[in-house]
Amino acid sequence: MELRFDREKNRQERLAFVRRHALRVREVPNEVWSREQADLIDAFFENAENFALSRSEYLRMHRARRDRPKPLYGDS
Amino acid sequence: MRIASAPDGTIHIDGKVVTALDRFVASVTEIIERYTRYVIVSGYVAILFGRARGTEDIDLFVDYMDRDTFMSFSEDLLEQGFYFLNSDDIGEIYSMLCDRLAVRIAGAGRIIPNIEMTFKKDDFDRYAMSRAKRIQFDDIRFFVSPIELQIPYKLYLGSDKDIEDAVYLWMLFRETLDGDLLRMFMERLQVRGEPYGIEV
Repeated sequence: MELRFDREKNRQERLAFVRRHALRVREVPNEVWSREQADLIDAFFENAENFALSRSEYLRMHRARRDRPKPLYGDS
Repeated sequence: MRIASAPDGTIHIDGKVVTALDRFVASVTEIIERYTRYVIVSGYVAILFGRARGTEDIDLFVDYMDRDTFMSFSEDLLEQGFYFLNSDDIGEIYSMLCDRLAVRIAGAGRIIPNIEMTFKKDDFDRYAMSRAKRIQFDDIRFFVSPIELQIPYKLYLGSDKDIEDAVYLWMLFRETLDGDLLRMFMERLQVRGEPYGIEV
């Protein structure tokens, strides 16, 4: 089985988007970028009420993430 | 982005629309401030300045609180409709903090978003706390870590998301950053920005 996904290409595309977005935020008035951002974040916030994991499952997930072997520069 | 610095050092982001996430964080930091100092670090700093992403947790650290102060803080927090995800036993929560573990605070009935809180623990935390920037927009005020520390710290954490946050902050603030300070933190954390276009 072959996974047709270029991780490095995807990473570079994401970084290019981040740079473009930062330039746009610099250029437009605060009211504009923050309105767009608020629409996105408020939707996440509302949707989080339907979060699928229980309290204990969520904590177990984070414990597992914390305890796994660390990559080169640590973990997020 | 229009940012203005007041004579007292406060950074004003006039006109920024307040998000539900901002309100959540502010409602917790207002309670924290009654008992101790805090500083917000990591991803939410980039989000505050417009990064287009959500987050499930907001990282902050606080000055050490003795047990009695922490009990009063916790009582206040619970009365205001928040709870600790890790345990309902406040003594256990306090022990976790003293053991340098993070505890999570969420609104009643919710798991995310939550605030991941620790006692400050090293020189980087102490620097962030002592040089915290006051950010003001609408009726909200936050204390956040200096950007010169956040960029190297995000590179140090090193996940795709963290590197994107570092690049975002660099692109936004590159002309206004203290290059010597940024270089010093990059050296101390042994990270390099050149592969991502962060050249100081």
